[in-house]
Amino acid sequence: MALLRRPLLVLILIVTYQFLQLWIAVGSVIEEGQKQEEFYEELLLKPLPDRKVLTHFHFQSSAPPTSNGRHHHLFPKAISQLVQKFRVKEMELSFTQGRWNYESWGGFDSIPSSNAKPPGVELWAVFDVPQHLIDALWKNLTHTLSGLFCASINFLESSTAYSAPEWSFPPASGNLRYGTLPREAVCTENLTPWLKLLPCRDKAGISMLLDRPSIYRGFYHSQRLHLISTGSGSEGMDPGIILEQTLTVVLQPNSQRASLDRASEKHIQPSWSLSSIFGKQVSGKCVLAETSNVYLLLDRGLVAELKQLHEENEKSAEKVLTSENFRTNPCFELSAKPDRIFIEESSLLSKNSSVLYKFKVEKYSEFEPFDLGLTWKIPVVWLCRQAPLHASRFLMGSGNERGAIAISLKSTQSSESFMGANSDDERCELRVDVFQVVPWYVKVYFHSLQVFVDQQPKAVSDIIEKIHVSPSKDKVSPGVMELVLKLPCSVSSAALTIEFDKGFLHIDEYPPDANQGFDIPSAIVSFPNFHASMVFLENDSLNKSPLLSKFQEKSHVMSYTEVLLVPLTTPDFSMPYNVITITCTVFALYFGSLLNALRRRVAEEERFLKDKAAKKTGRLPLLLSKLSAKLRGRHSEPPHSPPGPASSSFINSKLVLKVILVAGVAACWQHYFL
Amino acid sequence: MAEISEAHDSDSSKLHESGSEAPPRPDSEPDFDPKLMRKTKPGLKRLFLTFSVLFSFLLGFPFLWKSVEIYRSPLPFREIDSLSTQLRSDNLHFPLHFHALFVGFGPDPDPDQLRRSILSEITKLTSQNPKCSNNYTLSVTVDLGSRCLRSPTSSPHSSSYQCGSISATDFVQNDDVAVDERLASVFGGKTKEYSVAVVKGGSERAVVGKHRHAWMVVGDGSEVEVAVVKVAELLVKVFINGGRDEGSIRNEFMPVGADGKIVLSFNLLNADPLDWVYDWDFEKIDDTLLAPMIEALAPVANISVESQVLYHTPKASFSYWNQKLESYVFSTKDLPFFVNSNEWHLDTSIAAGGRSKILQFAVYVPSAKECPLLLQLPNGEISKTNGFISPMWGGVIVWNPRGCLKDSEFEPGAKNIIPIQDLENMFEVFIGQFRQLFGFKSVNVYAGASGDWDLLPSERGFTKWELEVLSRQQTCFNLHSCATTLGSLSRLVQSLPRMIIMDEIGKQVKFSLEAAKLALSNASSGVYESSAASSSQARSLAEDAFFHPSIMSVSYYSFEHCFAVYSPFFLPVSMHVVLAALREFRRYKQEKAKYLVWKAKANTAS
Repeated sequence: MALLRRPLLVLILIVTYQFLQLWIAVGSVIEEGQKQEEFYEELLLKPLPDRKVLTHFHFQSSAPPTSNGRHHHLFPKAISQLVQKFRVKEMELSFTQGRWNYESWGGFDSIPSSNAKPPGVELWAVFDVPQHLIDALWKNLTHTLSGLFCASINFLESSTAYSAPEWSFPPASGNLRYGTLPREAVCTENLTPWLKLLPCRDKAGISMLLDRPSIYRGFYHSQRLHLISTGSGSEGMDPGIILEQTLTVVLQPNSQRASLDRASEKHIQPSWSLSSIFGKQVSGKCVLAETSNVYLLLDRGLVAELKQLHEENEKSAEKVLTSENFRTNPCFELSAKPDRIFIEESSLLSKNSSVLYKFKVEKYSEFEPFDLGLTWKIPVVWLCRQAPLHASRFLMGSGNERGAIAISLKSTQSSESFMGANSDDERCELRVDVFQVVPWYVKVYFHSLQVFVDQQPKAVSDIIEKIHVSPSKDKVSPGVMELVLKLPCSVSSAALTIEFDKGFLHIDEYPPDANQGFDIPSAIVSFPNFHASMVFLENDSLNKSPLLSKFQEKSHVMSYTEVLLVPLTTPDFSMPYNVITITCTVFALYFGSLLNALRRRVAEEERFLKDKAAKKTGRLPLLLSKLSAKLRGRHSEPPHSPPGPASSSFINSKLVLKVILVAGVAACWQHYFL
Repeated sequence: MAEISEAHDSDSSKLHESGSEAPPRPDSEPDFDPKLMRKTKPGLKRLFLTFSVLFSFLLGFPFLWKSVEIYRSPLPFREIDSLSTQLRSDNLHFPLHFHALFVGFGPDPDPDQLRRSILSEITKLTSQNPKCSNNYTLSVTVDLGSRCLRSPTSSPHSSSYQCGSISATDFVQNDDVAVDERLASVFGGKTKEYSVAVVKGGSERAVVGKHRHAWMVVGDGSEVEVAVVKVAELLVKVFINGGRDEGSIRNEFMPVGADGKIVLSFNLLNADPLDWVYDWDFEKIDDTLLAPMIEALAPVANISVESQVLYHTPKASFSYWNQKLESYVFSTKDLPFFVNSNEWHLDTSIAAGGRSKILQFAVYVPSAKECPLLLQLPNGEISKTNGFISPMWGGVIVWNPRGCLKDSEFEPGAKNIIPIQDLENMFEVFIGQFRQLFGFKSVNVYAGASGDWDLLPSERGFTKWELEVLSRQQTCFNLHSCATTLGSLSRLVQSLPRMIIMDEIGKQVKFSLEAAKLALSNASSGVYESSAASSSQARSLAEDAFFHPSIMSVSYYSFEHCFAVYSPFFLPVSMHVVLAALREFRRYKQEKAKYLVWKAKANTAS
């Protein structure tokens, strides 16, 4: 009986299970039907300590998972096709010109750690396919991106140009490929296709500010595209995609008051407005955007400094900064009234917190354009938050044979105060991850890795907790080095050196202008113990902002080192032809003389010479004999018989005939072959 | 001159040097002139030496030539030529079978005479299509109700028709679709013949059905000769040519990519989203209207569909306000400037492969400043579809939002959906445009010289006989394009002797030729679908071979380069070798002459 009952039970179970599945599926379809493709546009402005302004554009488009991914309403078609065709799980592409100045522009916040990029092009992608298919997909992806963004990303196709980091790169996974092109020039032909992915392009909304001459005049310019495909799992469904496009520009405002000769004015930070730094204003939002906001961020150091100034004036600083009445603010003046003011949820360690002013663009229109201006009234000096260690990298050694790469980490002052709380703890350790890719022609000797802490050489095993090395293969793959360092918190400086030999390239492997040198891509130094996040309390959930939620994400503090330029021995590129010519000439000489020697009749020639000497001598042999006689210091003996005029004219006519013959052959050659 | 004098002077030294060859001659001999004669045979040592060097050089040349030779896969040039001559000499005949049925005409018309007159009309109408011709046969049946008169009496094609299965009463009803289905059941069968039924009695009507047949109802008093002319025109102009005008769109153009794929990219263009933003429910339309058409066209092309909505896409030229029509009017002469290629980033598709054909279809929603926007025909009328096509590119439709007034309560940014009724109309126009891109008419009437025919539209966009016209045309187009591509490739390869030709190219050319031959044989046996498929395969393989990336490698290794590398060695060496051989040879001749002179003298003396 029990045996009979069991299949029935199983059947019921299956039926209910399937019914449940069906029900769930129906429910999810209904739920997703309500989800729409969304677009957000935001701009963050931040005054920097060295009289510059950071502008950070943030655009986010998202497409929900659908059963039919071929049709789009807002989301760019090209990107969704790319994700579907190449099964991309996550991808980041950045085009950068200039170098982020970590010392004066800060290195701790989420903007530098996720938007400061190495010069040139950086691309990494995570694929959702088995290992053996990844390389083929990566190659196709680079070609597609290169067509999409008018850049030579297709050079990342060759296996010597990309690497597969194991764990040190933050979104670590085995399916990741990483490649950089440090020498790629970035210009407006890369920006225009990037803008084409926005529904409003640069026709409306915040992106109207993107005036090409002002952007490319800036000190630093980084255009980034990051996409994550989400929630693919059920079969037949296309994944949802979140596409994040950011453009980070550091600009120098033209200070109008610089001409004033008052000494105190010179120290005042330059005043700026959107129209003065971009030459354009925002006339309303992009109608397709869910939210369109402009933020002004005053970072911790600046707020602390302002508070201090206020305390001298014996006013409640907190109130002044957040008060609505900006005319009374003694430090600076804003030309527009902010819609909201956020104060950062300060962490336990620091007392100061940043202040964020929010401006809604939708209130403004063509007739009343939005033009945010900031006018400083008193001089302020402050510092941005730094990453715990400042990383820089340089080359050592000279000559074209060998050298060494050194990565130096120097403690920054702010981090000392940051770590001051537990610096007395003996076991306090600072974890540093280093990721370094070296091209194959720079042959690194990993055994020569040396570590110096506070200028003292240390045993590698004491400092390095984990190391992963994949040595380069000639003409196949680059060398990858991934390190985890454990440094004591009290460290003031640390250095890593590693020696290398410079390889020889085959003549057709040299790039154009090989004498310029070869680039070693930037190393990535990240601090997993430190998270760059700023939490701003946001109580209206209706008006959510992707930029602020991005700030809240706990991302590792990351910094890129400089790109190194290694001069390699470059051959004389015309050398092969020269070698061919000279060997051929030597061979020809050898051959000719051998042949002559073989068919020589010595006795006959002697007789002939004797006869000839008896008869006459040509003009040239006469001159030669005279010359040799002079060289020997003897008097030349006059020839026995002077050369007759008839014979010399005869020789001349022969010469003329020969010259004509050669010229004729040359003319024929010219005519028939060339 | 120097060598000659040397030769003159050398005879005495020769004797000295080659003392072993002959005993020294006595000086006392009176008439022995050492300059003119010698007593010994001239030596062959040096001559042999120099010539062996020369010959070894000459023998070495083929080896050198072989070693510097670049790899060229042998291409079947002769077969390529024979393919193109075969196509040019009009060997591509598509067999077509026509069947004309006359019902209710009584016994007087003689089927043989009818057949002759229809054939003569057909030959009058057939323009010699230079590319592809048809090989038609005609059979005529006169149905007398109980029995049939057939001509030719034993045609294999008309046998499927059962006498008396059609009568004039079948055509009385006004429902064309029902008549069509009735005829399909009568004529339907395995034979692929095009049938026309001419029925006497009833109101005049001429309809072409969805399958492979047409019918014509003529009045009681009408002559059979009129019907004959009309039937001949139908057979030639509709069933053979697909009802299109000669010269409107060139027949040989097919908007199909080299890999046999078409991507239909639908774009909704909101000219100014500040005025209004419209969205569409594309998924629904895709399922209901486009999917059946794509399925119907599957033998001709592999079609995929994608869509997007674009914003801020103004048109490139201006329209003007017409007071009478109370709308903005865009005239035909400005149409080339309607498509704004700067702002309409319609984009090629990443999903599509390299050589797919992308057809762009755009719905243009005008901004408030130019709404309603109408397109004006050259004759001053307003276009009914409000759209236009651009051959090989796609089509554009202007859709004016209802009312065209900027509502006061209209909230910018709120998404309006285009009403489903409008969307369906729009897509019907798109299907019409798509038909036009293939060369068909978008209207359902064929206006011939001898009268009009109603064309029964298919819900799948293309009727059966139209699809067959398309596959015939595609086979023809593909084969010609394949032959042209292969011909260009063979000319290119022959004109550049230093070009590397990979094995892969040779293989592709071979397969392409095979597929083309298969297509030719299928076409002549009347299997349209498979001949279309193998012809498109032939074309895509030919294109693959022609655009193979390795063909580019020719430009870096020229003959000049070869010459520059080898001349520093071979030029001086060959000078030495050739000159030495020449000298030795000349000297040997002279010495031999001298010896012969001496011998003659010695003989006379003795």
